[in-house]
Amino acid sequence: MIGLLFYAVVALFLAGTVICLPGTTRDTRIIRTLSLACTAGASLLLAVLSLFILVTGVPVTPAAWQLFPGFSVEFFIDRLAAFFLFLIGSVSACVAVYTMGYVEHMEGGNRRNLLCGCISLFVLAMALIVASENTLSFLIFWELMAAVSFFLVMYEYTQGETGKAGIFYFVMTHLSTLFVMLGIVAFYYASGSFAIAPLHATPASLPLVTAAFLALFTGFSIKAGIIPFHKWLPYAHPASPSPVSALMSGVMLKVAVYGLIRFIITVFSPDLWWGVLILIAGISSAVLGVIYALKEHDIKGMLAYSSIENIGIVFVGIGLFVIFSCTGLMALATISLLAALFHSLNHALFKSLLFLTAGSVVHATQTRDIERMGGIGRKMPYTSVFFFTGAIAIAALPPLNGFASELLVYTAFFQSVALVDPLLKILLFLCLALFALTSALSAACFVKAFGSVFLAQPRSPESENAREVSFPMLAGPAILAAACIILGVFSYQILAAFGYVLPIPDLLLVSVLLLLMAALTYIILYFTASREVRISETWGCGAKSLPSSTEYTGHGFSEPIVTIFSSIYRTKKTCTKTYYDQHDCIFAEGTAEIRLLKVFEEYLYLPVARGTTRLAGMISRMQNGCLDTYLLYVFIAVIAVIFFLGWSA
Amino acid sequence: MTTDFLIYGIINTICVVLVSPLFVSLIKKVKAWTQGRQGPSVFQTYYTLAKLLKKEVIYSPNTSWIIRITPWICIAAILVASLFVPLVFVTDPSGGIGNIILFLYLLVLARFFMAVCGLDAGSAFGGMGSSREMSISAVIEPTTIIVFAALAFVFKSLNIFDMVSVAAAAGTAMTPTLILLGISLFIILIVETSRIPVDNPETHLELTMIHEGMILEMSGKNLALMELSAAIKQTLLMALLIDIIVPWGLATTLSFASVAVALCLFAAKGALLSLVIGLFESSMAKMRFFRLPSLFMMAFFFSTLVIIIEVFA
Repeated sequence: MIGLLFYAVVALFLAGTVICLPGTTRDTRIIRTLSLACTAGASLLLAVLSLFILVTGVPVTPAAWQLFPGFSVEFFIDRLAAFFLFLIGSVSACVAVYTMGYVEHMEGGNRRNLLCGCISLFVLAMALIVASENTLSFLIFWELMAAVSFFLVMYEYTQGETGKAGIFYFVMTHLSTLFVMLGIVAFYYASGSFAIAPLHATPASLPLVTAAFLALFTGFSIKAGIIPFHKWLPYAHPASPSPVSALMSGVMLKVAVYGLIRFIITVFSPDLWWGVLILIAGISSAVLGVIYALKEHDIKGMLAYSSIENIGIVFVGIGLFVIFSCTGLMALATISLLAALFHSLNHALFKSLLFLTAGSVVHATQTRDIERMGGIGRKMPYTSVFFFTGAIAIAALPPLNGFASELLVYTAFFQSVALVDPLLKILLFLCLALFALTSALSAACFVKAFGSVFLAQPRSPESENAREVSFPMLAGPAILAAACIILGVFSYQILAAFGYVLPIPDLLLVSVLLLLMAALTYIILYFTASREVRISETWGCGAKSLPSSTEYTGHGFSEPIVTIFSSIYRTKKTCTKTYYDQHDCIFAEGTAEIRLLKVFEEYLYLPVARGTTRLAGMISRMQNGCLDTYLLYVFIAVIAVIFFLGWSA
Repeated sequence: MTTDFLIYGIINTICVVLVSPLFVSLIKKVKAWTQGRQGPSVFQTYYTLAKLLKKEVIYSPNTSWIIRITPWICIAAILVASLFVPLVFVTDPSGGIGNIILFLYLLVLARFFMAVCGLDAGSAFGGMGSSREMSISAVIEPTTIIVFAALAFVFKSLNIFDMVSVAAAAGTAMTPTLILLGISLFIILIVETSRIPVDNPETHLELTMIHEGMILEMSGKNLALMELSAAIKQTLLMALLIDIIVPWGLATTLSFASVAVALCLFAAKGALLSLVIGLFESSMAKMRFFRLPSLFMMAFFFSTLVIIIEVFA
């Protein structure tokens, strides 16, 4: 029954794609709406279906599907897969609703039909990855996801920066596929099967198993945007349409997280150092991600860096899970894994909410630069409230969902005193300090983002004329914002309903108390205080009315943090001066420049790229187009094969 | 939730609201004395709050709904946080009230709203204040969390109630580690309450200001609420320090006499701590803003050292 329903979902997604194909020649709104309705309906059905599996806890095996003899695509949905399917379904449904409004305001004529079809296929690919039972179908759908997402990123291909971003993304995503493939091959040699099933490592196969883990970890890290493989996110997210950014950041990164968790839990029996590796990768991504996010003034670029930070937090949870389960602290391991899963869901919700509302703002102001925004809160009241909800959630403030999952991470960290190894304990305390830094910096980052986009006075004519967006573009974010609040306030009850009664505070009680205290204060002040209100110019140092150019901008806001962490940003200040006299007293002229070094690009990506180009150049010299040369190659190859066979015999 | 807890909540909230303005004025009085001035009355903060409540509220035409809700959110968050720190009477924790992480994040909630509010009117002072506040809070956060983790480590609990119960049973600070942690807590107190050498609570319209900058656009009862929540926050951090270092006299059973004695003792201990804070502030000069991270790094290394000692002890 459930298996059949699963195939109905797949069929509905495919219908969403197929409907659009005839529409590629005609620019018709009805096709787009129909396709997106299919995506939204299928996603909703997927969410309901996976919620059912989550609640009952009974794994479902939809019928296998023979692709060609000897290989069939098999699906298996257990609680872990159902959780991620729920995440994919619920977020995609909201994004599809939003896109119904958004796509009509886009440029591109009938290309927009293809966009809708690709979105449907993209969501389907992600759902099938999660449902895959064997590594081969995992890989096939992984590649499908990579290819379709590349088309989505390249939607506005006429713009120069999109082309660059698309190629960057294409290379990185295929690097990820390459590593995942290597991992799967190594895994096949170690286990002798393609099934995602427990692998019993023998001392002989241990190096192979370790290699498989490292390859898979690298592949998933590239896809999830773990530093130093993160560079594609801040390129691809700003370049792609906002619903696509929301899907990629909210959902696609979580598919990589799913891959890592699935292989760690089901397949491998991890070592302690794996956990330490994941923890360190996670915490450094978290800290660096948020520090870079603070510096970013492209609103979608900032959200992209913030995704790196949040994925880092998820990896911290996974790392803690491995560390605790290797040291036998199962209760703490459960808390850490729940933290990782819960934060994945929460991040999917609030990050897609933020990307969608940011998309509305970008649509209304025609710019992504937050310095050219300002004062939009009064023009777009609903969007500003939704963005603010997302900002509170991502800044991990109680009682919203971001806090609920970070609280789990903190609880796991605080109780790590139960560990025996003192060195491990100190490592965890240092990571805890960095984690706190991350959390505080992300609060600063979103004060800046919300403040410079929505508050004060408009800083450009475009934001002066911003207007509230249409109903579907409000409905999608509204559902996501409500989900952020519900998952936070009822976090304790929800976890308890799934059988995890944890030693964490009940946020429902806290929210009730917050409301109670506010109401109490209001009542007391209602009777004791003056109720007069006046709207008037407030003190501005004597100036009658200050222009918007005197406002504190996003650059100004982050300047102290940039200065404090200048060694991490690697800003380079160069100052050249010339003087009229010999004693350097009378200044003639000079130039000063502050430049941000792109550390990873300049010291990691470019050298690798240059090396690859050089290697390719050497290889291409072999191709001279002359038949005789190729005959020589064949001859050499034959001789080599003969020698090799003789040698091995 | 037991009746004991309900009574605790009522007593604690009333105590904290009533006693907080007193400590604020006491610190001002001590500073005035060290400067050779008479200084305002110790009840001045109460008068100021009463005066502000009678005044009208003025909003700048540039502001949005943020400035209208911020005072309420701030006071609500701080009042809920006040339930987490027993002032005079400690009972069994209930429903996660007293969780030290939640306590910290309720303070962060108030600060977040205050910082966003500073940007609302578009005045450069508000922006400067919130920018600096968020920078400072980011740099002090690792220290705070490490100190809290060390407390949780020493008392083997995440709950402030359990910590205080254990400390109150012992009467005085149990270990030298706690005294070292007390020093770190004192630094956090100074930073979080915007005092010299981090911020100067006495200046308006000066480039040093942080906290005052953010609430510059506030007026009337909104300003009163912000001032009161800042005062309560200070009392809470003082109470946390007192509860852990000198917890003797804290009522552990609910009776009128013990609570009354505990209240008097708390007022006395708080007054003493206010004296220390006032003298500390008077003996210091305001630090340059970008010199602050090194002060915080010192506090951080200090508290990490405590943890390392504790781990290997």
